[in-house]
Amino acid sequence: MKHLIRTLMVLVVFAALTFSAGAQGGYAEGTEISLLQWSHFVPRYDEWFDAYAAEWGEANGVGVTVDHVNFTEIFSTLAAEIDAGEGHSIVEVLFSPASFIDGLHDLGDLNAKASEMFGERASTCQAASYLPVVDTYYAYTHGYVPDPGDYDIALWTEAGYPDGPKTYDDLLEGGRAIFEATGIPVGIGMSPELDSRMANRAAIWSFGGSVQDENENVVLNSEETIAAVKYLAQLQNEAMTDEVFGWTAASNNQALIAGEVSYILNSNSAYRSLQKIDEAAAANIGFTSALEGPAGAYASSHVWQIYVIPEYVEGDELAAAKQFILDHSANYSDVTYYSELYNFPCHASTVPELDGWLEEDPWGSQPPNKFEVLKTVNDWSVHLGFPGVTNPAISQVFAESIIPNMVAQVALGEMNAEDAVAQAHERIEEIFADWRARGMVGGG
Amino acid sequence: MASGAAVLNPRRYLMDDRRFVGVIFLAPALLYILLLVGLPFLLAIAFGFSDVTVGNTELNFVGFDNFVAVWENDIFRQVFSNTVMFTLISQVFILIFANILAIIFTQEFTGKWFARFIFILPWATPVSLAAIGWLWMFDTKYSPIDYLLLQTGFLGPKGILSNSRNLFWLANPALSQISVIFVQVWRMTPLATVILMAGLSSIPTDILDQAEVDGSRFMRTLLQIKLPLILPIMVIALLFSMITMFGDMTVVYVLTRGGPVDYTRIIGLYSFQIGIEGGNLAQGAAMALFAFPLLLALALLMLRTASRAEVR
Repeated sequence: MKHLIRTLMVLVVFAALTFSAGAQGGYAEGTEISLLQWSHFVPRYDEWFDAYAAEWGEANGVGVTVDHVNFTEIFSTLAAEIDAGEGHSIVEVLFSPASFIDGLHDLGDLNAKASEMFGERASTCQAASYLPVVDTYYAYTHGYVPDPGDYDIALWTEAGYPDGPKTYDDLLEGGRAIFEATGIPVGIGMSPELDSRMANRAAIWSFGGSVQDENENVVLNSEETIAAVKYLAQLQNEAMTDEVFGWTAASNNQALIAGEVSYILNSNSAYRSLQKIDEAAAANIGFTSALEGPAGAYASSHVWQIYVIPEYVEGDELAAAKQFILDHSANYSDVTYYSELYNFPCHASTVPELDGWLEEDPWGSQPPNKFEVLKTVNDWSVHLGFPGVTNPAISQVFAESIIPNMVAQVALGEMNAEDAVAQAHERIEEIFADWRARGMVGGG
Repeated sequence: MASGAAVLNPRRYLMDDRRFVGVIFLAPALLYILLLVGLPFLLAIAFGFSDVTVGNTELNFVGFDNFVAVWENDIFRQVFSNTVMFTLISQVFILIFANILAIIFTQEFTGKWFARFIFILPWATPVSLAAIGWLWMFDTKYSPIDYLLLQTGFLGPKGILSNSRNLFWLANPALSQISVIFVQVWRMTPLATVILMAGLSSIPTDILDQAEVDGSRFMRTLLQIKLPLILPIMVIALLFSMITMFGDMTVVYVLTRGGPVDYTRIIGLYSFQIGIEGGNLAQGAAMALFAFPLLLALALLMLRTASRAEVR
């Protein structure tokens, strides 16, 4: 009898475990996934993410490992792992990894499922994960980061712009007046680094120029681009110091925290750093949307949160990786909250609280509606390849820093704008031709 | 009689075979060179002649297309010229400083060992760490060097050097190049010095004694005896230093990322930006290979010079 009872008990426990495994996702025992994430600029987010990933693993019967590395190491690590045919199941990158497309899984099914579950997505996210020339979703973009202007309220009020600059003309006039009166410059980088690449593109787009058109043809050499470059050179000569030629990814933060800049173009991370150090100084920082130029108001998203799954990932590991990504998107309210409103959702429906948070910052900004200007972010936040897609050629142009170098040459007085733009155009044509020959860029 | 035969025909062991022992001793170095230098080098050549990308390492032969594309790239020509310029100028300073320091450190003085220890630190420090240290020193806004210049009246409203509070070391074209060369000289000089010290120590003392007896003074002994005698070793030091510098990208990557504009961009960095960050692995590999013929010719020339100058 005892033996029968013991056998029945074992059967009950086994059935419970089997049922539980089924409920957990039905992955084979021992299934594991590993994630390579860039160390978030908001440390609180990484703390939340690590705990979330572990919790998700327990709930789904999957072993989850998370590694964080500096953002500058992500692409070289991804390249090495694809070449080796082994490594992390999911890699998070900041910019479109279009040139890695052959080594990545097509995530068309995942993107379709996400659209089905969460509805429409921001265009800046779509363009950073889909390559039309091969009709492939090489990535899944879960978030993006707005890149508004940060301005010193007291300085700009004194200069006659209490709401900060609204147009590029305001930036030049007001920025120059502040610089002449106080010696405090505008801080728009013109060096081979991320923030400069974004800021210089924003001006070119707003003046009507761009690197490529909608059909992926190079159109940089235009009157509009030349006008933008002339404008930026004038801005540098009249409202900035030579510091901008040596701008680094930390310069925005340093300058804002030191109170030695009147206007920068940045995510909210510089402001959040200041907020933790000096609340009064942080209260003196205001935000503007993209500045209006002759052709409109555009700014690049600061970075994107893009998940890719390398091709070597297979079976249950692949299925679990996809499920992790979907579940992560479904929890995007937490993502946005714990990133201190740094990560914005690609699918607006996943963070219904967002507008409320922008009206009243949950992280204690003064005034509480400091970020309200970001309610319109989807109207002006675009992607690197705008108005086309972000293809491998655009990524290489970005990596070579061709645009900020072109602007710096003119601002330094080494070339006139016409020659600098023509020279940059020629180099970009070479890059496009090379990737087009590989069948990875349209147009031509 | 039997014992005499044993002496005439001693038992031979494998380790008594000089050729075998030679192979055994050389094997680790050879394996290291083959696996960690030879194979990647061959791979780079294969990549350079293919259309490989970071996402697809399938090798499709494209002939010299990548090399032609690199050569036609205007930026590359400036990058190549920067690389050669930085290397050559650095070597001049390294050679001068290394000689002076080697002579000082081979003299007897109090605290010599401590001075040697301090002096070797730049070489012993990981290059990225050292470069980050210098990044702070040359910071465009908070440079301690600028602070000292400001306090001593060289900078500021009535400054002798500039009326600004900063020199913008890494933002000014000329100063950024000087900064890069300075850091390279700072980190490479210790190695060259140690090599030259070994050379100076190996000069037979009877030659130096003879010179002293003959009334030769310091400069004459240095120029006519010491330097000619250590010339082969000096050439080796120079070769080490040049090859290390030509292939290095860390210092520039940390300090300037090639800016302002392309003033400090060098082959190693540009190759990385195109090949890894830009995804065009084939063109990045082709670019890196451009330095090879030059370095090979230089190495052969220098080794030949060293061999001719060797005292037999």
